[in-house]
Parts: sequence; structure tokens; C-alpha cells
Amino acid sequence: MSSVKTLNANAEVMNRAAALFMNINAAKGLMDVMRSNYGPKGTIKMLVSGAGDIKLTKDGNVLLREMQIQNPTAVMIARAAVAQDDITGDGTSSIVLLIGELMKQAERYLSEGTHPRVLVEGFEVARKAALEFLDTFKQPLPTPPAAPASEPSSSSSEPASAPPVDREVLRCLARTSLRTKLAEGLAEQLTDIVTDAVLTVRRPGEPIDLFMVEIMHMRHKLDSDTRLVRGLVLDHGSRHPDMPKRLDKCHILSCNISLEYEKSEVNAGFFYSSAEQREKLVAAERAYTDERVRKVIELKKQVCGEDQGFVVINQKGIDPISLDMLAKEGIIALRRAKKRNMERIQLACGGFSINSVEELCPECLGYADEVYEHVLGEDKYTFVEGVRHPHSCTILIKGPSDHVIAQIKDAVRDGLRAVKNGIDDGAVIPGGGAFEVAAAHHLRTVTRKTVSGRAKLGLDAFAEALTGLAKALAENSGHDPQEALLALQEEHERGNVVGFDVGTGEPMDPSTAGVYDNYIVKRQILQSAPVLAGQLLLVDEVMRAGINMRKQ
Amino acid sequence: MATGMPYGLQAMLKDGHKHFSGLQEAVMKNIEACKGLAQITRTSLGPNGMNKMVINHLEKLFVTSDASTIVSELEVQHPAAKLLVMAAKAQEAEIGDGTNLVLTLGGELLSNAESLLRDGLHTAEVVEGYQRACEKALEVLESLVLPNTKDVDVRDKAEIARRLKGSISSKISGYEDLLAGLVAEACIEVCPKNPNNFNVDNVRVVKIQGATLPDSRVVTGMVLKRDTEGSVKGVTDAKVAAYTQGVDTSATDTKGTVLIKSAEELENYSKSEEAKLEEYIRGIADSGARVVLSGSSVGEMALHFCEKYGLMVVKMPSKFELARLCRATGATARATFGAPTAEELGFAKSLRVQEIGGTNCLVLQQDAALGSIATIVLRGSTEGFLDDVERAVNDAINTYKALCRDSRMLAGGGAAEIELARQIADFAKKQTGLEQYAINKYAEAFEMVPRTLAENSGLNATDALSALYSAHAAGQTNAGLDVDGGAPRDLSTSDGILDLFSTKWWAVRLATEAACTVLKVDQIIMAKQAG
Repeated sequence: MSSVKTLNANAEVMNRAAALFMNINAAKGLMDVMRSNYGPKGTIKMLVSGAGDIKLTKDGNVLLREMQIQNPTAVMIARAAVAQDDITGDGTSSIVLLIGELMKQAERYLSEGTHPRVLVEGFEVARKAALEFLDTFKQPLPTPPAAPASEPSSSSSEPASAPPVDREVLRCLARTSLRTKLAEGLAEQLTDIVTDAVLTVRRPGEPIDLFMVEIMHMRHKLDSDTRLVRGLVLDHGSRHPDMPKRLDKCHILSCNISLEYEKSEVNAGFFYSSAEQREKLVAAERAYTDERVRKVIELKKQVCGEDQGFVVINQKGIDPISLDMLAKEGIIALRRAKKRNMERIQLACGGFSINSVEELCPECLGYADEVYEHVLGEDKYTFVEGVRHPHSCTILIKGPSDHVIAQIKDAVRDGLRAVKNGIDDGAVIPGGGAFEVAAAHHLRTVTRKTVSGRAKLGLDAFAEALTGLAKALAENSGHDPQEALLALQEEHERGNVVGFDVGTGEPMDPSTAGVYDNYIVKRQILQSAPVLAGQLLLVDEVMRAGINMRKQ
Repeated sequence: MATGMPYGLQAMLKDGHKHFSGLQEAVMKNIEACKGLAQITRTSLGPNGMNKMVINHLEKLFVTSDASTIVSELEVQHPAAKLLVMAAKAQEAEIGDGTNLVLTLGGELLSNAESLLRDGLHTAEVVEGYQRACEKALEVLESLVLPNTKDVDVRDKAEIARRLKGSISSKISGYEDLLAGLVAEACIEVCPKNPNNFNVDNVRVVKIQGATLPDSRVVTGMVLKRDTEGSVKGVTDAKVAAYTQGVDTSATDTKGTVLIKSAEELENYSKSEEAKLEEYIRGIADSGARVVLSGSSVGEMALHFCEKYGLMVVKMPSKFELARLCRATGATARATFGAPTAEELGFAKSLRVQEIGGTNCLVLQQDAALGSIATIVLRGSTEGFLDDVERAVNDAINTYKALCRDSRMLAGGGAAEIELARQIADFAKKQTGLEQYAINKYAEAFEMVPRTLAENSGLNATDALSALYSAHAAGQTNAGLDVDGGAPRDLSTSDGILDLFSTKWWAVRLATEAACTVLKVDQIIMAKQAG
């Protein structure tokens, strides 16, 4: 009996064997769940929430977030995977798979009496070696001769027309990531959208801010109608029936000015003794707001020539009377715009946001070729399109039902991250399991010679676990995992870098097939998976006071 | 306790989670549920389809054969069946008609998939085959479009009525000629210069209990189920002033206090108040307006002065109704109270209170040139029946909208489906891979439509189907099922039944997509039901 029992009679204790058993089983159990949706040919899982909402997903991250996991070990692994997603945006399934594989391999050695500490030491050696190998394995992004990728600022003159990175490689990165989350045809279409979106918001010398890519969704038409809007889509419309629904060649005023009557903050009141006086008070109350609206209208008259439109996008409110005044001048006015949209407007259309009517000047105006309203059932959307130098854009996701939209949305987010990571890293890793097989080969042939003693066991387990990922890939595509792995290993022994072709089941060259993974994703996996697996292996007692750990 | 940690996913999830995986547990069960759903709606397909009596959670009774109403009131719980319902809803949102086709086709595709899976095909192969077949189906569908239907005069009442008939007859059988005529008349009335901009909102439907359906009529203008405020109950050739706010004394936003020091002042204050209001209302009357539309309350005193100047006062609590009435009269609603300018005034040819079936209704009638809103007044004996007719009319209006955008038509009565089945089956024979079985089954699923039509009409489905096949094999690609006679006949002729191409196009796409999604799911993880 454990000594904890004497301290607290109700405490629950698991001894070393039971603790290890639980940890290994939980890791393997979680792996079994995630295994079938790994890779482009993985299957879809249907999640039904407590309220009966449906979510369909292939994305490991979504799956882990939506599944309410309770087992403590599984929760730890899930957290590591969610951290993986926070940092890199991809590779959640891989990390769960690698941890599961590591635990599975460890189990074999443990049953033969190896001490967990020995294995963990081996893991540590292997991890370091694998990370070093990763650095030699990565392929720098091919750069066009004009501008080196490492210094994107050098090409600041024409950021839009001469991207200093190879678009094709980025497309491959996006495609590889998207295909693991969506059906092939759709992934292909989104590839261009995602790549172009990132290239649009990329500004020389500045880190890429993915928040400048707005993701909007409309429940309308088909998923294949998803498109990239080089401009903005705002999820609200004008609040006045007489405002124009469409304007061309628009000057855009973005402001943060209240165009509605606001009560004073101190407790104020009027005293009057006749209806005339009251009328005057009513007029006076409006005068201040009306004056501001009039200034906006003056500016419109000043800048707008024939057939030019004027659009006011206000972060604060515009009351019906002010709207009425603006509508009479043929101005589209949007009220209560979101703050992040205000930032995006400046990036997309130019101009700058003003905070008081005194700052009104023609220079602060942005420009867009067309602004129009789209009504979808009850919801209104305003499109701002045809801007001159877009540094912000919108991915407009369409789909016939909410679950389709949610699925695309999650995938787009990951796709954007993949492209961004690619640009940030300036390097890519050949995909399709090429790295895993190569790293395992490297560990077995090169690293093993440098290690002596019992650490070799951990190293072997690690190498075996890595190949597990390639096996899962083959298994999900309906091919024989052992055969596929052997074919890959043989090619690698010949010195070729090959990945697994999910279509044919044969080894293929990732660079010709255009299958690339992110460097940072692989790095992060190698960093955290062995550490977590090691921690789980070294647990020798699980204690819990209070409610029972197991379900009754 | 040490040894018995339960293994697997179940052990890791919260209590009450359900987890299904694999072919038997997940896929087959899903198919079963979808088949069940399709079974329910199937019998309502076509002009002779049966009505369903649905009582929803609010104990409201629905008697209808409109599939979208049935499924939305059924509150389907099963996740896979829900996917099919979502596809039907998407169809409803996109076209507004053809929901039953989505459900029936989707259910049939899945039940055919079941037999394929039992034969040992992998779901991926079935999905692949279905997707290939879907592409082919859309291609064939395109080629089946009846010639001379691409361009249509959307203002030709007889032609439009003919095209709307198919949509109505599937919901309200027996009155399709009457209703198609009414809908066509109303839609043409409000169709803008560019038919693409046709707004379904401009055709209103008002249900008034009493009399019989043939007493229904179209009003060029609006019919509102409300009375006027004052005693003026009817005007002709009148100008209209509209206000989004109430017709009353103006008030400040900030709280005001009347400062009164003596009894005289009190008296004077009320008088000045009255004088001010009278001034306003006189201003309205002087501007030539004879009707005042108020967006919210009408003050007692304001009403008094309106009476004095002979103004008709109408209260419109709904902002949207007010906007519509403004559109119908051409008035601009003023945000502030006061005399309107000449441009802000609207015009009503005739606006009067009429008693229809015991209800006082405000009827606005406009000349055709002015009217941008038309109203179909439906009469009928029971509320339930009227609701059903309204749904049919709404579907037809949506069909008109779709027609304005894409007027291509197909022969109805299962003609297009049989041709699709035939051509896709031929296509399957040319395939080499395992998908051919799936494509073949896909073709078979289309047979379900004429089969169901025949079954619902009390005909021998197998006989009808083989007769159709032989007619099509003889080159009569537009031969469809005559639900009255049973023998196949060419439905593209002037007295035939036509279906909208876009309805079928979307239905095929959405049904296939839903079926494939259901098939692709291999694991279901259900959280504990909330509550």
C-alpha cells in the first residue's frame, strides 16, 4: 500500500506498472483515433455536439478541440497537439501519431525489462540528432535571381508585381496542407486563393500579419464558389432603404466620428415653458450632429466629380436622421464597422482613418473601383472591390451548409499559416513521409555509430516510431504499409530522397510531385513529441484524491 | 483498480459520449437513417403525392405535402439524416423549390450505396463513382434542355403560367391552372425592366379565411390586414406622406421638464402645444397630402387634427411594411415630423378599407405603371389549407425568380430523370474501373422519381417504368409519365409539364454532395445531449 493511503484514505493511487499501462494505452488510443484521418486520403469524422450541431472534420486540431477528452494522459497529449497548432498551424495529427508510436515502441522494450530512464536517454540523443539532420535536409526556397528571399525588403519598390519568393513552391506548401483537410478538387482551388491572399498582405520588411486576411463566410451557392476578394467584404449593409446599392469609382472615408445624438454624461435636462421653446431645443439638440454630417457632405461635393461615388464607413453610430441626410446626397454610409475592419480599410483602399471632422481633407480618403451591397436573406454584405494597392484582402467562403463552411474555414486558416511559415522559414521539407524515412535511416546508420551503450535502444525505438508516420500514410491510402515502407527505405538506401505517392502507392520524388511540408512544423514535432513521450514514460505513480478517476 | 483501465477512445471521453466507427456501425447506420427520412417524404412527391400531418413542438398542426415544411418541422435528430436535411434546406435557399427531389434522390443514392457496400466495394470507390456520375449527369441534363426555352418573354402570362404549373401542381393538385395564372399575373406585374432584379419580396401573399380558392385574386398594390386610425376610410388619387417616426408632438432625446410657474402658464402651454401640432398637420394638409403613414404611434391630439383636415391616418408598426408601402406609393419616409416636400410625397390611386371575409383590410390599388408591389389575396376555407396554398405560391414565386435568371426548361413528369438514368447507365458500361458499379447504381437512383410518381398516382410502377424506357429507347427523349392516363407521352408540348433546369441542376448536385458526405464519414463522435 502506498504511503499516500495513510495520509488520505480516499486517495486513488496507481503504482508504476498501472501508471505506465495507462499512459501507453491512452497514447495508443488517441493515436488510433487520429490515425485514420492522417494524410490526404484520410477519412472524415463526424462530431455531434451536445446541442446536436454537426461538424465534419479531417483536421486533427479541430478534432482534439471538439472531442471532450477526459483521460489525464490523453489531455496532456492533446494539449501538446493544440500547442503545435498555435505555434505552427499544422501537424497536429502528426504529433499525436508520433507520441503514440514512440509509446508503442517503448512498450516493447519495457516489456523486456528495460528501464524507462534508459529509453528516455535514447530518445534525447535521437531527438538532437534528428533535429540536426532536419537542418541538413531542408531545401531553401528557390529564389528568383533579382532578389534574395532572406531580404524581402530589397524589392520594396514593386511588392505586388515582383514577389521575391517563388510562388510555385508556396502553392505546393499550401496544397500539401489543404489536401490533408479537404477534398482534392476543392483543395486545388483553395491553393491559389490562399497563396495569393498571403502574397497580397505581405509587405516588404514587415512580418506577415495574417489578420489582414479577413475570412468571411456566406451560406450561399456551392463550396466551389469560394473566392478571393482583393478588397473587403463587410458583414453589414447600409441601414437606410434609399441609399444606393452600388457605387462606382468611390472615394472612401473611414472615420471614427459619432454621427448620432449622444446624451451628455452628466445628468442634464431642459426646462421649457412653451411648445416653441421646445421646438428650438429639439433643433438645437440636432444642430451639433447635423453640422458634422454637413461637413462630410461638403467634402463629398468637393472631391466627387461626375459619376463618382462616396462611401462613409464609420466605426461609431449614425442615427436615422443623419443617414437620411447622407442618403439624399447619394452616399453609402455604414455604421458600427468593426475595429479590425477599419484597419483593413486603410490597408486595402489607402487613406487614413480620422477621429474628428476637423481633420477631414481629400487626402484622408481611400479609393475603390466599386462598392456594392449584396443581400442574402436577412443578412447584408458590402463588397469593396477593385482597390489600387491591396495590402489586405478577404477570402469569401461559400458553401451550402454550415458544416461545409466550418470545414473550409478551418482548412483555409491552416493553409494560410502554411504559406506564411514557408515564407518565414525560407525553406521547405520534402513531404509524403520523405523526411521521416530519411531521418530514421540517418539515425540507424549514422547516429547509431556515435552512441554507445543502452541509449542505442531508445534510438532504435525512435527511428522505428518515425517510420510509423509513413506507414500510417500508406495505410490510409489503401496500400500495404509494410510493402510501401520497404520500397521507400530501399530507395533511401540508394541515396534518393523519396516520399510516398498516395495515389499509386509507389515511391515518388516530392519535389517533382510538389509535395512540401513546413520546416517549422517538423521541427516543432521533433522538439515536443519525444519530450512529452519521455515525461509520460517516467511517470511512476499516479495519485488522485477526491472523485474517482475511472467512470463508475 | 490497478490493472483495469479501460482501453480505447470510449475511456478517454466524458461520460455520455457515443462513438461509432467503421462500416457497419457508422456508414450503414447513417444510410439507414437517411433512407428512413427519404421514405417519409417520398410519398409526397408529385401531383398525386400524399399530404402529411405534422404536429410540431409547439403543437401547431401542418397538413402539407411540401417537403421543406415537413423536414423543417420534423426536427430531425440523427446527424446523418440532418446532412440530407441541410442539403434540402440549401436547395430551398437557392431555388425555393425541389426540396423533395433532393431528399428522394439523396435517400435513393444512399440506399443504392448500401447494396454496393454489401457487395464489398470500398466507400471511397462508391464516392468516386458517384462524383463521376454526377458530372456526367449535369452534362446530360444540359443537353436535355428543351430547345426554344432559353429565351422567354418573362412578361408573357400564358407562357409563364405554363412553366410555373409544374412547381405548383406538386403541392396543390387540382388548382394548378388557377394558381399558376395568379402567380404569373402578380409576378409579371412587378417584374422590373431588368428581370434579373426581380425581388420575391415584391409579391405579397395575404391569406383571408372564407370563400373558396377560386375567389382568390391579384391586387396591384398592397393589402394590409389593418384598419385606418381615424374616420377617413377611403381616398382616391391621393398624395401620401410617410413618417418613420410617430405622428405626434416632437420630443428631445434629453429628458425635458416643462417649467410652469402659474396656472395661466399651464393653460398657455397646452395651447401652444396644440397650436404647434396644428401648424404641422396643416402643413401636411397644405402640401397636398391626404394620407399620413406613421411608423409608430399616432398621438390622440395629432389624430384629432388629422380628422379636422380630413387626412387618412394609417399606423404601420412594422418597419418593413412601411418600407414596402413607401415603395408601392413612391413616397420617401421622412425621419422627422413636419410638412413633406413635393418629392417626398407618394401617390396612391386608391386606398380604402374594405371588408374581406369579415376582416377589415386596407387595400391599396395602383395603376400598373406605378405598382412595384402586387399582392395575391388567397381565399380558402381553413387556415391549414391556406398555409399550404401559401407555401405552394411562394415556391412558384421563387420559381419565377429562378426563371428570370435562367429560363431553360426540361420536360417534367420524370422524363428528364429517365433519360438521365438511361444515359448514365450507358456511360457506366464504358467505364473500366470498379466505379462502374457505382455509376450504374447512380443511374438507377434516378428511376426512383418516375417510379414514385407512378406509385403515388396508383399506377403500376414497374409497368410505367418499362413503358417509359421503351419510349425513350425509341428516341422520345421528352416522354414523361402522364399521371392521369399512365401511358408515356411527350411532355414538351404546349399542354405538357415543364420543370426548371436550374431546379434539377441544383437538386442533383446537392443530393450527390450530401450522399457523398454521408458516405465519407467513418467515425461519429457524439457528445452527451445537452439538457
